[in-house]
Amino acid sequence: MSDIIVILVILAIVSASITKIVIEKKKGTKCIGCPAGGTSKNTCGCNTHK
Amino acid sequence: MESIISNKGISRILDKTKGLGGPAMNLAQGRINTEYVIKEIKTNDEELKSFLFTLGCYEGELVTVISILAENYVISVKDARYSIDQDLAEAIIV
Amino acid sequence: MSMKEQIKVALTGNPNSGKTTLFNAITGRIEQVGNWAGVTIEKKEGDIKKGLNKSNVQITAVDLPGAYSMSPFTSEESITSGFVRNENPDVIINIVDSTNLSRSLFFTTQLLELEIPVVVALNKCDLSKKKATNIDVDSLSKLLGCPVVETVSTKGNNNGLEDLISTVVEVTGKTQTAPFDSKGVNMADQKSVEASDKKRYEFVKEIVSKVEERKVISSKQTKQDAVDRVLAHKWLGIPIFALVMWVVFSISQAHLGPLLADTFVGWIDSFYAWVEGSLGDGVSPVLSSILLDGIIGGVGAVVGFLPLIMVLFFLLALLEDCGYMARVAVVMDRFFKKVGLSGKSIIPMIVGIGCSIPGVMSTRTIKNERQRRTTAMLTPFMPCGAKLPVIALFAGVFFNDAAWVGVTMYFVGIAIIILGALLVVRITGEKNARSFFIMELPEYRFPSIKRAAVSMLSRGKAFIIKAGTIILLCNAAVHIMQTFNWQFQAVAEGAENTSILASMASPFAIILVPLGFGAWQLAAAAITGFIAKENVVGTLAVVYGITNFIDTEELALVSGSADVAQIMGLTSVAALAYLMFNLFTPPCFAAIGAMNSEMENKKWLWGGIAFQFGMGYVVAFMTYQIGTMITTGALGSGFIPGLVAVALMIGYVVYLVRKGDEVAKRKVALSS
Repeated sequence: MSDIIVILVILAIVSASITKIVIEKKKGTKCIGCPAGGTSKNTCGCNTHK
Repeated sequence: MESIISNKGISRILDKTKGLGGPAMNLAQGRINTEYVIKEIKTNDEELKSFLFTLGCYEGELVTVISILAENYVISVKDARYSIDQDLAEAIIV
Repeated sequence: MSMKEQIKVALTGNPNSGKTTLFNAITGRIEQVGNWAGVTIEKKEGDIKKGLNKSNVQITAVDLPGAYSMSPFTSEESITSGFVRNENPDVIINIVDSTNLSRSLFFTTQLLELEIPVVVALNKCDLSKKKATNIDVDSLSKLLGCPVVETVSTKGNNNGLEDLISTVVEVTGKTQTAPFDSKGVNMADQKSVEASDKKRYEFVKEIVSKVEERKVISSKQTKQDAVDRVLAHKWLGIPIFALVMWVVFSISQAHLGPLLADTFVGWIDSFYAWVEGSLGDGVSPVLSSILLDGIIGGVGAVVGFLPLIMVLFFLLALLEDCGYMARVAVVMDRFFKKVGLSGKSIIPMIVGIGCSIPGVMSTRTIKNERQRRTTAMLTPFMPCGAKLPVIALFAGVFFNDAAWVGVTMYFVGIAIIILGALLVVRITGEKNARSFFIMELPEYRFPSIKRAAVSMLSRGKAFIIKAGTIILLCNAAVHIMQTFNWQFQAVAEGAENTSILASMASPFAIILVPLGFGAWQLAAAAITGFIAKENVVGTLAVVYGITNFIDTEELALVSGSADVAQIMGLTSVAALAYLMFNLFTPPCFAAIGAMNSEMENKKWLWGGIAFQFGMGYVVAFMTYQIGTMITTGALGSGFIPGLVAVALMIGYVVYLVRKGDEVAKRKVALSS
């Protein structure tokens, strides 16, 4: 019984972090948890060097 | 008290003393703490020239060499300090 | 006033006029700021804080990279002028550096011609007041034909910010007349544009002479210039930088950091004990081990370094804020120029101290293609924030928390960058790409504790998010792979080498024998490091079953460091080699992705990655073999095969250099 609870807890933790990663990726974050990893709403990916 | 001079005043005083001909030389040969009038920006790089222009570094403007650090020159143009390298200092003819 | 529900405000101004600081102050966001030009390379959007916005209109602010004029000379400037021209903001806030009116107003007069209402924020008023520069705000406003608000964005208490926002709401939808009009000028003709711009400057000069009274003449020597002569001195500059970094590391790693880490790790320990206690005996050991040692232990080992990292970033933020980093750039530029890098290459490197990704991204401001690609390839050699826990761990376990370890890593990084750039120039045979270096030297100022704290907290938050997502998953996976063998049976005690992880990492471990660390555990940690460098710490904790590296009993960063060193089975020399291998191999995948998008060339990307691997291998090999030679008088293990591998790599580079020289010769022959 307690085994099942532990499995559920582990699954809950793992799925929570996967969900967080998926949400961040959808927002277009280039690097999750990096300082200034492109977290702003509207990063302009325009190619401006030429 | 004597130090309160308006900007206009300064430029008038300087107009009298500086920029009266003299042999052409570049900023790299210039002396520290002397105000020079820029005669020409000598470069083929039009973009650089325009960029310097937006900083206020163009013919007729004043430039002062504040210090020479390593191989960089600290110059004062308008009211800002810039660090420029030797190549650029040589391109500024005063 | 218009009846619009939502208005968009663009923040524009000269580089280092304080746009991003103002943006953060009015939106409550935390974007990276620094007291030097060129920190912002992309536009950023945010809604204005309710506390400042007294109207019922929703205001969105857009922070743009700094520009000196509307003509796009640099790529940052083209983002700015492109945005202002194409996206039709309702109002433009023009941030004017009150210490340099004559330059700033040039841009202002251009903005005023766009037929979008402009509000001038006269920023850095505290600095200009300190110099006893008097600006007549009312007549400035009359002469420009637009409202002018005095602001100090670096201080709290809404210094003029509320006024600024209400003025923005007021001018929305109104028309202003440009005081200087260039409508008749033919934009295609460079001569006439130039002539008109000169007139524009004359016009600005006239305004400035009417509104500004100065006591301090800026072309005169100041105390700041005297400080510059020492800090950016030809010979003293680098030792001073080393000393500054040493102080930063010694505070964060040997003094304040461990003190804070002590308390913090105490909490993690009690949490671990609490979970262990509540699991009880009825749970299968495999499951409880995944939860305790894999997830909590692994993440805890990484998170334990959080206080140390926060202290370090706090100190770095202070350095950046006070204006010192621009002087470091001046000192370093000399070396970078000699090896064919651009004067702008230094900026990505310094940004890269925080994180390689924004560092690599900021290489896009370099125009010369080779210089841009070389800089993107070399920026990750600057040890980034994610590598700090790794440095701290090894300095703690093997070197008694010595601050010199961290400092040395930065200088080895710089040396590799210089060497790498030199090789790239020779290989591509492109020597004569000249670029000019010009960098504004911002005034020194007393760094703001508040801003450094904000920057520290945002990095701390990012670190925790990373630990709770990517690092947590990796640790769980590593733990599971270590617990089971390929038949999905739990690995018996004493037969750890049969686990999935061991069998996958062992082939790599063989390659690492000549570097002094041929254990599969160490190879596995190095591999997970490519996902995120903090993983090196987490994986080591998991594979060696060490729940935390920080001791709460004694005031040392790493617990019973002798024990940990023994478990890992490394000599100090091998440990240093392992540390360097992890720091100077390719960065994490996210940074490689950034390299890919800035290089825009697969050949360069793969060449860059191969170079990074080769460099990591050669540096670790030399460190281990030479170090072992010195400390024990004998050669380290696997010397001969390692030497062969290193000789092959160096030989290939020499071959490429020869080929490059021929290309260069042919170019010379063609041009003469």
